[in-house]
Amino acid sequence: MKSKIKILLLPVLAVIIATSCKQFSDIAEIREVEPLSATVTLTLNLGEAPSPQDFNLKLINYSERYEINKSVSAGSSVTVDNIIPGIYTVTASSEMSQDGFTYNYSGSAVNIDIVENNKNIDVTVEASKSGALLLKEIYYCGSRTPTGGSYFRDQFYEIYNNSETVQNVRGLCIANINPLTATANLPVWPGGEDAANYIYCLAIWQVPNDKDYPLNPGESIIIAQMADDHKKPNLNPNCPVNLLSAEFETYVNTTAVISDNPAINMVMAFWPSPTPQWLTTVFGSAFVIFFPEGTIDPNNYVSPVGLSSKNFKVPIANIVDAVELVGNPNQIQLKRMPTVLDAGAFTVGGTYRGESVARKVKEVKENSRVIYYDTNNSSNDFEVMNPPVIRRNGALAPSWNTWK
Amino acid sequence: MFNTIKSMKMRLVKYIYWAGAVLMTLFAAQTAAAQGSGATMNSPASIEYLKAGALWFNTDNSAALVLDKLPYYSDLNFIYGRKAGDYKMKYEGDRERLIGFSTEGGLSIGKGYVWGSFRYDNEVQRGTLYNTTVLDPLRGMPYYTVDSQLSDWYKQSYGLSMKASTPLWSNVMLGIECDYSAKVGAKQIDPRSKVDYYSINVKPSIAVSLGNHSAGLVVQYQNLKQESQTTNSDSQTNQDVFVLTGLGNGYTAVVGGLQSLGIFLYDGNTLGGGCQYSYTGESAKLILSGKYSYRVEDVTSAPSKPKKEGSVKENDMETALAVVFGNENLSRVDVQFSKKDLSGIEYVQILDNSYLVQRWITLFSSIRSTFTDQDLSLRYNFFRGAENEYKWRAGAAVTYNISDDIYKIPYSAMKVENLYMGINGKYNFPLRGMSRIVVGADYLYKNNLKGEYTYGGAEPESHIITDFMTPDFLYLKNSYSKIGGSLSYFTSVSGENKAGIFIKASLDYYKPTEIDDNRTLLSFGFGFTF
Repeated sequence: MKSKIKILLLPVLAVIIATSCKQFSDIAEIREVEPLSATVTLTLNLGEAPSPQDFNLKLINYSERYEINKSVSAGSSVTVDNIIPGIYTVTASSEMSQDGFTYNYSGSAVNIDIVENNKNIDVTVEASKSGALLLKEIYYCGSRTPTGGSYFRDQFYEIYNNSETVQNVRGLCIANINPLTATANLPVWPGGEDAANYIYCLAIWQVPNDKDYPLNPGESIIIAQMADDHKKPNLNPNCPVNLLSAEFETYVNTTAVISDNPAINMVMAFWPSPTPQWLTTVFGSAFVIFFPEGTIDPNNYVSPVGLSSKNFKVPIANIVDAVELVGNPNQIQLKRMPTVLDAGAFTVGGTYRGESVARKVKEVKENSRVIYYDTNNSSNDFEVMNPPVIRRNGALAPSWNTWK
Repeated sequence: MFNTIKSMKMRLVKYIYWAGAVLMTLFAAQTAAAQGSGATMNSPASIEYLKAGALWFNTDNSAALVLDKLPYYSDLNFIYGRKAGDYKMKYEGDRERLIGFSTEGGLSIGKGYVWGSFRYDNEVQRGTLYNTTVLDPLRGMPYYTVDSQLSDWYKQSYGLSMKASTPLWSNVMLGIECDYSAKVGAKQIDPRSKVDYYSINVKPSIAVSLGNHSAGLVVQYQNLKQESQTTNSDSQTNQDVFVLTGLGNGYTAVVGGLQSLGIFLYDGNTLGGGCQYSYTGESAKLILSGKYSYRVEDVTSAPSKPKKEGSVKENDMETALAVVFGNENLSRVDVQFSKKDLSGIEYVQILDNSYLVQRWITLFSSIRSTFTDQDLSLRYNFFRGAENEYKWRAGAAVTYNISDDIYKIPYSAMKVENLYMGINGKYNFPLRGMSRIVVGADYLYKNNLKGEYTYGGAEPESHIITDFMTPDFLYLKNSYSKIGGSLSYFTSVSGENKAGIFIKASLDYYKPTEIDDNRTLLSFGFGFTF
């Protein structure tokens, strides 16, 4: 019997020792960290756009919350020192006004591992004219109730006319894309290489196509999950926003707390599994606004490979603006949004904080009209705001909003 | 929560079963030992006295236990303790309650000697902060999770130890020491956690004795595992947490929802060894010992895709000299130097999101932090002998400690240098028959020589720095006085054998010199000696 026990124990002992030896040898050669250098080269692909003299170069290590900023001349290379080994997002940006147009220049290289010295990084910079309509402020994380509970019916999305001309938002769509939250499990879409030319929406809400909804320069529309005064006693007295003046709401049906408010009800163009309201995740979704090509047919959906969820695909070329929001800075490397639409990502850093993300002010015109940053990189363009405010910085409600 | 309680109750039953088994063994052994030994009575004071006179007992080398010529002894302790006061680290409770029992005993079997102990503790900590997932934040593991929610912790632990020594030939002895420790704990407020910890430590040894000279060798292997799982009771409210990597650096995470922090798995192995030399003269004896160990411990967060959170490698060394002299009156001098060098390793990983792969791949690893701790201590204890006990004892101790922790990039550092000076004494008042009262008092002064904390990370204004790291640093930096007292009463159960019963109480009071906080530790106990 004793011999049998020894025979059984010996392999166990051998496995333990072998495991220990492997663990020791894996770690034996690891040395102290040293700061690294890297060389970044900009390649300009500007088309007909004029070339600016300098670009702002930014290397961001989101997991370490570490950022390096440099200036680099057009078409040249620059050496960046004092880099902590890690995964970086490298962005180059600039802007320039000429012939009455404002040009944005941006290029990025995402998830670049800088773990050895003198790494060469190439960034291709492209130019675009500033978008007319943009997502100006998004309040997604919810707020705390007086008893410490979580409240999430107060979400809103503000869309602003950042241009010099009147824009019509008739038929404009807002959507959150798949995956719902930043995740390591990215879906694989059918269609081979062509799949990368689309984004895939989980839900789409559309401004009614019944009439024109003009938006003058400096005006904005508010799309509320529920266009009510959220500070009411039966909702959340701690809530930072009153959304009764919102232009639109994503109303589905009435419940004990949900009522049909003065705001215009948006059209639920695509949402395979609707709930009484359009609650987007308080961890941060990735949002797009776009004008669809014709009518959205909910039956024309696609599913990821191996899954049965229903999604509506939209060509990237149709996207007017895009913003990727995540739960915390570490999740920025788990990007869902194509970098051509948003080279970065942004976050309030948690849930139920009563905080929003809002675009930074770029300039204020003589008539007090504010122009916001739109470099297609939300890491650069946005800042955290506490409290969230609709029509911040003097944005005006459109004249057709008579209940404001 | 129900499951946690049920699980803890099941463990409690298991602990009691093991405790019973150990006690039965000791009781059975007592009868046999009493038959063959001189019937000198055991008391807490006599056990203190015989341990003070032992050289090899206090080393890792159990082979040479027989050289200490320890007699049979055993005891059983029940203890109830309370702690209260603001002078504490954040992870400690505003109030703490401990219920525990322990038993220990040794006896000769043939030409060998065996020793064993068992300890069970049940602890409740009220009002802890900034510890979400570990049972002991000071155990040498910088990678763990903290949060700012005031919470209680329930903890249970039990430990089994044994040493055995047997002569191989007339002057060569073999021995082995085994220590098994199992702990479980649960944080009670969201983000709550359930933590399981176990370690096993095996130390085979050999010793050679030639006349007055003896030498020994010991090797050590330890394996430890810990599993820390975080959850929320309120599934509608996610909780923000912070995963520490050292000196206030780290990253934010969330418990709850789709992005919830995964289980943290800790897997550690230690290899080590030591050597000893002892000389035994007519009126004096000494032992010089040195030991070294090397620990590697990996931390992995393991939802569906395991990701390395960090690793540590630790080099520990210790050298000690103990000199015991005197016959009727015993003096013991201990000089000890120890050094711990711990390196914190972090990994650069990237997610391979290929459809069929989807796993974290390690691209780079480096030592991002180092934690060094050195102790130099000198202790002297005098025992005025009386039969197999002491009439009174007095002692003094000085310890110099320096801890030097550095986070390499971005640079952060914490350095604390302290000098501890203490005196202690006990008087053993004989009463009628075989009864005694032992009264003790001690005083300790911690003099802070230096204290610096520099944080160079990304968020100096965050609550992690202002409400956690900085207050804990100030705690470590503060000088304090501690005054303590103890009182115990012992009486034999019968004049014919070794058995006795005792009750005891002790009180320690900590008072820092620069702030108005304090901390009181109170304990009551009773037990038996056999």
